[in-house]
Amino acid sequence: MFRDLLVVAFLSSCLHAQDSFVQTVKPLINSYCIGCHQGANAAAQFDLKQYESSGAIAKDHARWALLEERVAGMTMPPKGVKQPSDAERAALTNWVKTFLKQEAAKSAGDPGVVLTRRLSNAEYNNSIRDLTGVDLKPAKEFPVDPTNAAGFDNSGESLSMSPALLNKYLQAARKVSNHLALGMEGLLFAPHPMLAETDREKFTIQRIVEFYDRQPTDYAAYFEAAWRFKNRAALGKPSAALDDFAKEAKVSSKYLPMVWQLLEESNEPLGPVAKLQWMWRMLPGAQHNQMDAVKEGCVKMRDYVLKIRKLTAAQFRSPRVVGLSGTSQPLMNWKLRAYASHRMDFDRTALQVEGESPMVVPPMRPAFGVPTEDAVASRNAAIAARLRVGDSELFVPSGQRKAYEASFARFSAVFPDAFYIRERGRFYPDDSEDQGRLLSAGFHNVMGYFRDDTPLMELVLDEEQRKELDRLWMEFDTIADFTTRTYVQFFFNQSGEIEGRGRESGSFRPSDQEVTSERVIFGIRDAYLAKASAKDDELGREAIREHFARVNTMIRGVERARLESQPKHLESLLQLAARAYRRPLIESEKESLRTYYRSLREQSALTHEDAMRDMVTLVLMSPDFSYRLETAEPKQVTQIAAPKPSCRKPAAVATVPSTKLLSGAAMASRLSFLLWSSLPDAELSTLGANGDLLKPEALAGQVRRMLKDEKAKALSIEFAGNWLEFRRFEDHNSVDRTRFTEFTNELRQAMFEEPVRFIDDLIRNGKPMTEVLYGKHTFVNAVLARHYGMNEMIRIRGAEWVRVSNARFYGRGGLLPMAAFLTKNSPGLRTSPVKRGYWVAKTLLGESIPPPPPQVPELPNDESKMELPLREMLAKHRANASCAGCHARFDGFGLAFESYGPVGERRKMDLAGRIVDTRAEFPGGAQGSGIEDLLSYIKASREKDFTNNLVRKLLVYALGRGLQLSDEPLVESMKKSFAENDFKFSALLESIVMSLQFREQRNPAVETRLKENPKGD
Amino acid sequence: MKSQSRIARRTVLRGAGVALTIPWLESLNAAVPAPKRFAVLFMGNGVNEDQWSAKGQGASMQLSKSLEPLAPLRQKINVIDGLFVKSLTGQGIHPAQTGSILSGASIQRGPILRSGVTVDQMLANTIGQDTAQPSMVLACEQPLTGYHETNFSMAYSSHISWQSPDSPVPTEVYPSLAFDTLFENRGVMRNASILDRVRTRASELSRQVSSTDKAKLDEYLGSVRDIEKRIERMRIDKHKADEVAKGSNKPAWTMDRPANGLPEDLREHTRLMCDIVALGFQTDRTRVASLILANDLSAQIYPFLNVREGHHSASHDNLSDGYERITRFHLSQFAYLAQKLDAMKEGDGTVLDNSCLLFLSNLWSGRRHDNSRLPLVTAGGLSGAIETGRTISYLGEKDENRKMSSLYLSILQKMGLKMDRFGDASAPLERF
Repeated sequence: MFRDLLVVAFLSSCLHAQDSFVQTVKPLINSYCIGCHQGANAAAQFDLKQYESSGAIAKDHARWALLEERVAGMTMPPKGVKQPSDAERAALTNWVKTFLKQEAAKSAGDPGVVLTRRLSNAEYNNSIRDLTGVDLKPAKEFPVDPTNAAGFDNSGESLSMSPALLNKYLQAARKVSNHLALGMEGLLFAPHPMLAETDREKFTIQRIVEFYDRQPTDYAAYFEAAWRFKNRAALGKPSAALDDFAKEAKVSSKYLPMVWQLLEESNEPLGPVAKLQWMWRMLPGAQHNQMDAVKEGCVKMRDYVLKIRKLTAAQFRSPRVVGLSGTSQPLMNWKLRAYASHRMDFDRTALQVEGESPMVVPPMRPAFGVPTEDAVASRNAAIAARLRVGDSELFVPSGQRKAYEASFARFSAVFPDAFYIRERGRFYPDDSEDQGRLLSAGFHNVMGYFRDDTPLMELVLDEEQRKELDRLWMEFDTIADFTTRTYVQFFFNQSGEIEGRGRESGSFRPSDQEVTSERVIFGIRDAYLAKASAKDDELGREAIREHFARVNTMIRGVERARLESQPKHLESLLQLAARAYRRPLIESEKESLRTYYRSLREQSALTHEDAMRDMVTLVLMSPDFSYRLETAEPKQVTQIAAPKPSCRKPAAVATVPSTKLLSGAAMASRLSFLLWSSLPDAELSTLGANGDLLKPEALAGQVRRMLKDEKAKALSIEFAGNWLEFRRFEDHNSVDRTRFTEFTNELRQAMFEEPVRFIDDLIRNGKPMTEVLYGKHTFVNAVLARHYGMNEMIRIRGAEWVRVSNARFYGRGGLLPMAAFLTKNSPGLRTSPVKRGYWVAKTLLGESIPPPPPQVPELPNDESKMELPLREMLAKHRANASCAGCHARFDGFGLAFESYGPVGERRKMDLAGRIVDTRAEFPGGAQGSGIEDLLSYIKASREKDFTNNLVRKLLVYALGRGLQLSDEPLVESMKKSFAENDFKFSALLESIVMSLQFREQRNPAVETRLKENPKGD
Repeated sequence: MKSQSRIARRTVLRGAGVALTIPWLESLNAAVPAPKRFAVLFMGNGVNEDQWSAKGQGASMQLSKSLEPLAPLRQKINVIDGLFVKSLTGQGIHPAQTGSILSGASIQRGPILRSGVTVDQMLANTIGQDTAQPSMVLACEQPLTGYHETNFSMAYSSHISWQSPDSPVPTEVYPSLAFDTLFENRGVMRNASILDRVRTRASELSRQVSSTDKAKLDEYLGSVRDIEKRIERMRIDKHKADEVAKGSNKPAWTMDRPANGLPEDLREHTRLMCDIVALGFQTDRTRVASLILANDLSAQIYPFLNVREGHHSASHDNLSDGYERITRFHLSQFAYLAQKLDAMKEGDGTVLDNSCLLFLSNLWSGRRHDNSRLPLVTAGGLSGAIETGRTISYLGEKDENRKMSSLYLSILQKMGLKMDRFGDASAPLERF
């Protein structure tokens, strides 16, 4: 099918085509065309005199295809000029058609020259998003990418590098590396920079709190799941297991059986267990069909549990030590540990037994200012007493204390007073004053955190989840260093209490490392022990010893954990590099990276963390990351001698293949940038690395899978956005916001998103792309709905987007009436039928229309100040023959949009108060009014242009280069497949991905030879 | 100096001092105007309000007891009264009165910190990019980051420089580390090392690809080389200037690297930090600095001033002689820095003449927690942009005309930034 390029290079100079050109074509051109089409001022800048050979025509095939179209369509030569006879016309057009077809076939499938290039800004941002898991968008600081002739910013034809841009790349890489955190198992990236300690705390605390908040700890959910299990037969699942209901309700498989057991165990005669069981038995069965009542009942059961536990939760205060404040940290930590280890226990003093001395309610202290331990303890005791006194739930008949205690104990063992403590204020457990102090230990002024989640760990979480939570807490320490920093702040601020210089005094100030040394830690411990030397202070002394032992163990543990995780970070970095480079690393590359790390540690004396940041920066600055190298495929190519080819021997004799298949990794990369504008995911990379991707079924399967992924939205943004010229609309600022106050940033954003969502829906849900034109629906959010006058849609909540099926009723539907295009193609204070019409003709229908001549006077800016309506001023275009040649092709389209104003709003009057007139004349003479008629015209006469245009645009986008003659056969087969598959976008993608152009590359060795031997002599 | 090849940079600097001559900038090109510098020295918890006042202008300015140490510089200072930060009033005491002292932003309570970019960091992000180190953020007291009883984080009390609304700049408390950062050029050298490897790889790739692709990769290679050259030029220029200055017989000023660890005595700590700021400004390694002498809610102790309580406790009795001595001690550090900069000749004047230094507290009266007006002194004329030797009062004016943010905006504009708003101010400070 495909022949040697070496041979091809010389065929075009063979006599065959050249002869017929000279005999047939040149005379006709000279007779009928050269009159206008020659010299420096050639009409449409098409100088036909310069074509001396068929080879020149092959080079300029696109314009000659246009020539053929115009001549065959009888629009050229124009009316009023000497016309060729029918036979002459046919001879010319047939020659051109045949010639072009032959030329195309000779090198059909030629992958062409696809220049290596840097990533586009969108590709850079998306790659960082997928590499780090955080959408950092570092390229928003980069200058806007220039586009190539087809309007795309993803080819080497327009993308280049400069020192200024490289400097920005360096800043961006540094910025990304500032987001790095060193986890226990590998590298992590935070959504914000991680250089300041306060930032590291924020990150690590947030992860823990989010983990907590995700866990199923609502008792009502468990009661409901248990009820479903109990009623499984009536619910149609007689053989389902308890665990099935746990999974269905998304509650803990570990905890549900415990709850079930308590509810169902042999009836308790007394206490809270009895009461709960009674409430449980009173729930309606499934046969009664009263789900609302069941739900309510479960909620009531939960509220009962919460109430009982609130009434009976154990309370603690720090050990009393003469000479030390109760809020002294070693003592406070004892209290916190006591709370943490008694959550499945209860306070026996809460029970009020008939006959025993009544409960005393102490006076209530206010929660104010800096609390003392006494104040906190007595306030909490008062609060508890107030709740408990007189509550019949706590009444125990005379002599039955033991039995009731047993019931309360059983109850508390299953229902902890809290599964975890997520925040803690000064007056804990009374948190009415201080909210939002996440994971806080409740200290005053100094930092301090305390982990209190034993019930969650023991009752709810499975093995893997426990490991995860442990790891999150460990990373709180290894990343944010909270134990050490708490101790250091304590050391410099509270150690004064034992040095006798007042509460807030720093005493001795050892050097950096020493403060956290075991020696200093135990030194200060001993100073505290000395303060707690009275006989009654045994508990206090125990608390002090335990506290400092714990601090020391934790600090040493963190040091060890950090050291142990260092090799994992390096491995994680190698994996990051492979993903960033879109290919497996070879051993020497890995070794080189490891060596560099070592030199950063040893020669540059960087800390491990700084070294890792530099490694990440290095990976992101490497050309393997920032450059698309798929078609460059730098590898050693063995030189094979090839005999000199000759024009008279068309048979392929050279043994150097002029193309070769892209490697699996390169294919994965090319495919993923096409569909996602980003790097491959794990599945695609694996298939690429082991070569399986190269099989056609695998390729097709991946295309299907990747289209389903939300990342394929990139096609709507990068491909469609650039094709239809709305890519930069988010920055559009030509609208006069004082005159059009509705044009806010929110509306602008919504206008941008509408075509993205519309097209994304067509692409990913396999709908016909012709809906772009004829679709009667669209998508809106609240802001856009208001702008479009879709009153009943305004009740959409904030960020929600909905599909509007009857958009036609509001004058919308399909792309044409979308505000983004109407606004973008308006200069600010008036509409522009010229720009709008031109947009339809050029971007949608693919017409080539040359630019206007230089000295055209500007139309006035402000419609409200124009004396004539716009359409009359434009009529002058059509009066003048040299303007009409082009303007007749699109002015009419633009006038059809006149019932939409400068920001796409529907209008009956223009800005000067005149009634709008949407009548228009379309090319070929058809008349119409408004968009409906425009669409009818397109459907009748121009639909092929639309599909042809879309096909070509997508091919350019996918290949990363302009089209060449050899692509024509592919274009034809794509158009055919498109039509046969109901104009599904996926059909086009499949054709492209399976094509030789996409799967192959020019062999670099051949390039070099051709360069050395251009004439092949 | 031992051979540098295998020895880490830190080792080289450890124990070695830095002998420097007059700023290389001056010796290289006398026609280039001297750079403008900005520094703020912060003492928390307010002043002894009875002893903090100034009357008159210029040489005849009369200074109260706490301001006496500035007497030799009276013509180069401005004593300003009556400015305040509105968003720091009415939300609670201490951290809520400090969190945006240099930015005028609104702050929030709870676990998520939020303030605003401060005036010094705004400068660091702009003019700071022209120096080896964009700014210095120093402190003589460790930070606390727990919760105050008002539920505002203590981070607001122990940080005055914010690089973004979410993130305070961590303070450097160790003089030895502040010194190292100033001279090690870490950032630039690290980037140079990375670029070197990147260039090698680009070069390798360039040799392996086709000729058309080579042209594209050569763009990359060329850009890398360009940046590397710039870094190298900066180093060479600096070195050349040092050589030229050495040879022109001007007096040298030396500073030894401070010992590791924290100084025992606060007097030594504050002096060292001021010396480092002076050194940074003189050598033009940085033009922006902030220094916390004492945090808000400070726990500093002053046995050498015969004061028994810690700073914050003493501030509750701020009309006492003891607290006056504390105030004057810190003000003296400011005077020390200003005089040091004034002794460094630069162009037609001194480094001080080309700088703007601020001395600031977050409260007026510690016992009443009153911050409706703030104690403020400026030193230095910012190359003529600021008229000095004045006492200016904004007391009694409308709140609109009393904003600290307006002062910051004036300073930013006078330092060359094109801005028309900063913090809560949309106009520069009148009469400044």
